[in-house]
Amino acid sequence: MTKAHVNRLDNESLSALLDGEHALNDAPIASDDVATFGRYALIGDAMRAKENNNNTNFDISERISLALESEPVYADFSQPESTAEPLTTQGDKKVVAFNWRKPVAQLAIAASVAMFTIVGINTLPQAEDSVQNEIPLLQTTPLTGMASPVSYSSAPALENAEQGLRELQQQRIGALVLEHQRQARAAHSLKTARKDDISQEEKN
Amino acid sequence: MKVITFIMSLVLSFNAFANDTNPAKDLLIEMASAVHTRNFDASFVVVKGKSMEPYRWVHAKQGDIELEHLSLLNGAGLEMIRIDNQVTYFEPQSEPYSLTTDSIAGPIPEVLFKDIERLSAHYDFVLGGKGRIAGRPAQLVRIESKSEDKYNYWIWIDTESSLLLKAAYVNHQGEALEQLQLTHISVTEKPASLLLEVLNRDFPTPLPVNSVDEQTKANAMNWTIGWLPAGFELLKSDRHKLDLNNELTDYYLFSDGFVEVSVFVQRPLPGKRLSGALTSGATTIYVHNGGNFDVSVVGNIPTMSAKAIAESVSRAL
Repeated sequence: MTKAHVNRLDNESLSALLDGEHALNDAPIASDDVATFGRYALIGDAMRAKENNNNTNFDISERISLALESEPVYADFSQPESTAEPLTTQGDKKVVAFNWRKPVAQLAIAASVAMFTIVGINTLPQAEDSVQNEIPLLQTTPLTGMASPVSYSSAPALENAEQGLRELQQQRIGALVLEHQRQARAAHSLKTARKDDISQEEKN
Repeated sequence: MKVITFIMSLVLSFNAFANDTNPAKDLLIEMASAVHTRNFDASFVVVKGKSMEPYRWVHAKQGDIELEHLSLLNGAGLEMIRIDNQVTYFEPQSEPYSLTTDSIAGPIPEVLFKDIERLSAHYDFVLGGKGRIAGRPAQLVRIESKSEDKYNYWIWIDTESSLLLKAAYVNHQGEALEQLQLTHISVTEKPASLLLEVLNRDFPTPLPVNSVDEQTKANAMNWTIGWLPAGFELLKSDRHKLDLNNELTDYYLFSDGFVEVSVFVQRPLPGKRLSGALTSGATTIYVHNGGNFDVSVVGNIPTMSAKAIAESVSRAL
């Protein structure tokens, strides 16, 4: 089909050459316009591609090299190692671009908190200290493979409610731990401020 | 004559007492000054049970200015930068903020970088054995709580550079609950160029720190906290909303100079609530069902102490 189609075009010798029907010699190619040559090659490729149900996108090498030119460099190994990346973005003097500020970090819900609750369950004190055993330990996430009480399993609504409550409690615990971490940071300045206050009062 | 001998012996014994310095305390004081004066770049991990948090800790002294950078390397991370007495905290999902304080509140108790003397009333300083930590000769110093209501803290100090090499919260059975171990440290003559870069940046203006103000005094009247381990005093008290779940809470912050304890009194959650504890490393969270209110205690204290604090909270008359 391809051959029949192309052979009908006016420049028969060139077309035949492209389809491998002619032996290659310089004379016909030189005499022909480069553009015509390229067009014929494209037509041939397009038709062959159609047969294979393929995309007809040809000679993208030029576009790729253009795109590469404008591509930002992620790892330039040609630069000396000593020039460390600055901690912050250039131009803007405000410190914003720490590594965790990248979008991917947004997905992690206060990671340290999430980690805390999960880890907390896994590392409950083992049965070594008899005093500690008297304290019931909270389960913020249900352990897999644990038999649930009959009353829950027979009533899915209740089970869902229970699940909701657990989540609520886990959320609260996460919030409390984060709040404790934050408040504790100011503890020392509070303490100093307090001492100053007391010494001031004593002076007065 | 007898009187003179008596006076002489008194004077002599007093002198002897005054000269009796504690080598463990001296080591801690040396460490505190080393941490403030040396240029170093260290990596450490904090092991809490089965979990592990890696950190990088860089400190520099440029002229009279101290620079310090501590960052959590796993997960969403956490960055803390100190320029002299301004510390800025960068947390995921919230705006960075600064505090006016001369030490970073990270996994190492802040008081170790300050005046250790203020702990003397409630802790003993004991010299332990020598060992090799992170490839360096180390001397163990134990900070032991005088009562069993609080944990002990053990510190291994580099005998050459006086820097901290390892530390652990240890319970009264001698089990390490939470350990901090340096994996690498390099002490240099010059400050790290990476850290000097920080000097060219703008940081948020420090938040004002109010000491025990009128609001605290008024709010402290809402609830009576009947029991606290020896040495704890109230630093702050207010009513505010929690960041994560927007719940309202009556909040109390206590400290004995070494560890901080938070007490939260909240509206009860619906449904059947059980009292119980949750631990991670040395940190305990105890949730207590107080009838028509919930009390939660968070801090680096033993579970029994947290339980006792939570159960001692009652509505003020």
